[in-house]
Amino acid sequence: MSQDTRTRPAETGESLDGLDDGASVAASDVTDRIWRFFISMRTGLWLILALGLLSLVGTLLVQAPAGMTADPQAYAAWVASVKPKYGGWTPVLNALGFFSIFTSVWFKAITVLLTTSILACSVNRAPRLWKLAFHPRARMGETFFKHAPLRANLLLPTGPEVAVEDAREVLQAHHFRTVTDPDEDGLNLYADRFRWGPFGTVLAHLSFVLILLGFFLSQATGFGSGFKDTNFTAPVGSRVQVGHGTGLSVEAKSFTDAYYPDGSPKDFASDLVLYKNGVQVERQTVRVNHPMTWDGVSFYQSFFGVAAAMQVKDAAGKTLYGQAVPLQFQSNDGKHSLGEFAMTDKKLTVQVVGAASGQVDPNIKAGQVELNIFQAGTDTPIATKVVDQGKPATIAGLTYTFERTRSFTGLIVARDPGAIFVWVGSTLLVLGLFLVFFFPHRRIWLRVRKTSSGSEILLASTMRRDSAFEPKFHQMVTDIQLAGTPSSTTDIQLAGTPSSTTEK
Amino acid sequence: MLKLSQYSLIAGLMLVVLALVCYIAVLMLGRSVRRAPVMEHAGVGARVGAGTSTGVGTAVGGTAEEVAAAGPRSLALYGTYFTRLSLAFLTACLVFRSIETGHGPFGNQYEFAVAFGWGIIAAYIYFEYRYHVRTIGLLVLPITAGLLVYAMTVGDTANPLVPALQQNLLLSIHVALAIIAYGAFAVSFAAGVLYLIQPAEGRRGLPKPALLDEIGYRAVIFGFPLLTMVVVLGAVWAQIAWGTYWSWDPKETASLLTWLVYGAYLHARVARGWVGRRASWLLMAGFACVLLTFFGNLFFGGLHSYAK
Repeated sequence: MSQDTRTRPAETGESLDGLDDGASVAASDVTDRIWRFFISMRTGLWLILALGLLSLVGTLLVQAPAGMTADPQAYAAWVASVKPKYGGWTPVLNALGFFSIFTSVWFKAITVLLTTSILACSVNRAPRLWKLAFHPRARMGETFFKHAPLRANLLLPTGPEVAVEDAREVLQAHHFRTVTDPDEDGLNLYADRFRWGPFGTVLAHLSFVLILLGFFLSQATGFGSGFKDTNFTAPVGSRVQVGHGTGLSVEAKSFTDAYYPDGSPKDFASDLVLYKNGVQVERQTVRVNHPMTWDGVSFYQSFFGVAAAMQVKDAAGKTLYGQAVPLQFQSNDGKHSLGEFAMTDKKLTVQVVGAASGQVDPNIKAGQVELNIFQAGTDTPIATKVVDQGKPATIAGLTYTFERTRSFTGLIVARDPGAIFVWVGSTLLVLGLFLVFFFPHRRIWLRVRKTSSGSEILLASTMRRDSAFEPKFHQMVTDIQLAGTPSSTTDIQLAGTPSSTTEK
Repeated sequence: MLKLSQYSLIAGLMLVVLALVCYIAVLMLGRSVRRAPVMEHAGVGARVGAGTSTGVGTAVGGTAEEVAAAGPRSLALYGTYFTRLSLAFLTACLVFRSIETGHGPFGNQYEFAVAFGWGIIAAYIYFEYRYHVRTIGLLVLPITAGLLVYAMTVGDTANPLVPALQQNLLLSIHVALAIIAYGAFAVSFAAGVLYLIQPAEGRRGLPKPALLDEIGYRAVIFGFPLLTMVVVLGAVWAQIAWGTYWSWDPKETASLLTWLVYGAYLHARVARGWVGRRASWLLMAGFACVLLTFFGNLFFGGLHSYAK
């Protein structure tokens, strides 16, 4: 059967050159033990699987919205809301942190351990990889040539010096680097290709750590100048400060939403003008998938809604407030949308309530909003009144006017200094993986000996995880044979067909 | 165009089923060929005793074996042709549909299910060509047929793209890489199953465990870098669409889980005590994660819930 010639022994974890062997550090003290724990392949494997298990939990169980754990009251309400789904398990799952698994102590601990393991393995491996690439062992013992998974034995009429030169030329023609090392027993030749391939392992592992680092920096609030504002609203026609020390402000010139005939959304577009310290620096139409970025700060289209343009005057006619209030929040029953503004001088907070889109409230009709006026820091309104559009109403000594409705656009505004680490790490990770898997280090050892009728060449190679190399190896053997033989009648003795060298 | 696409899908599905029938027939005939000599000798008498088929039946069974062997061989060839033809039809199905909709097969579950089936067939054809192992088809083809039938049941209405999906190039690459990776993982899954149902020394009629181990590994090292790129491109898209490259959306998390399991497999292949059977179990787990990732948005919602 043809497939048999392609098989090779199931790998036993023992390699011919010790590339993948565990470390050989004596467990003489605790430090050594810890070190050996972290550089063990099995430790890494278990940690990966543990991380996988946590991800599985995070996939199958509903996760609390990000940041909700910071607000105990909201979190408790959220846990109560999932109780019908998980029943008596709810408190158990909650206590184990399974509802916010990716910020849980389990997740953090495993990530830290895995990172440590990756770093330890890389430190442990790098010197050996370096040696294999730049100071390879050019000379192998007799047993290696007898037992290597790929090997061949050639008899040539030429002398050893000529034969080794012929072999070298053939190997170089196959893009192999060659190193000679003569000794008293004969001539030794080492050839290899893709010697930088194995460094892909180190690259891939370290870039994974880089991604984790970037992710950590993205999550850590207050790192550098990073911030993320998911609730940024800009009523059309008003200029809104971005804050966070950016000196930026945004004005939405317009907002448009478009729909397909079946009612599904087609396009959301905000025409935004960006000002830095009052000077216009950028203008762009921001859409979903088309954010605006300036000086590391990005503006993403996120949501939209209706804002109520409000004006508040005191008895002397002085304007206390004159902006559009985005009705960006939903009441718990979903029937109302509401917004809020504060007049700090008067220590007042005003809640503006309108009927949610598509909802009818007999008390708040179209063209009306309800105003709830609170003393700052209190929960019960000092006054509540439904006002008509364009009609000033006097409440508690101040004149409130609901001038008109306007669109507002809701943006995510963010500066993420961790992201760059993630992108660089991701690129290097992919590069590293391609290096490891598609450029395996290929090595051949030759020993040339003098015989009565010319010379004998022993060739041998390891073939770890690289079955594609086998036909190439045989091709090179044939080429060396042809190069050293004037006539083409000589038999080639291939000692090493893999099926006959299956070890263990 | 949409009609052409639908007909191509039906033709593709029928060819997959036909190929599967061929392979099953080969398997059955192969079995009966091996059994035939034994039965004939049982009729002759106790001369053979406990001796089994091998060598004993040369005189009587020889001719029967030759006749029957010609059948399976050509049947197996037909199976191969059918799979290749089905790939052509599935390609046509996806191409016609893309021409009609103007975007890659990422608009809904139907498109992605057909693409997934395409990826599996493509990966299978490559590995069959490379390693001459048709037995894998016995597992891979039913999965493909299942996906195509599933695609037909979810309905093929071409809905317009919601704003977040209007990112043609990036998403086309994201999905194209995903289906190729998933196809390779399906092959590695099949190799893993065939590995696990055999004793260590192998079983007659099935590919050698060492070869299956090799195929499983080859498929994963092909699929794993692609899956990595899928996750990275997904993160890029999330960054420009939602302002954050990672938000623990269930589909994101499931793809990370898949990535971790195949990462574990790659390490298991060189870790003592994990080589062989345990590594093959990880191939099972890995493909289970692929399916969870694929079907996940049906039940866990999240930002990828475009199927609704």
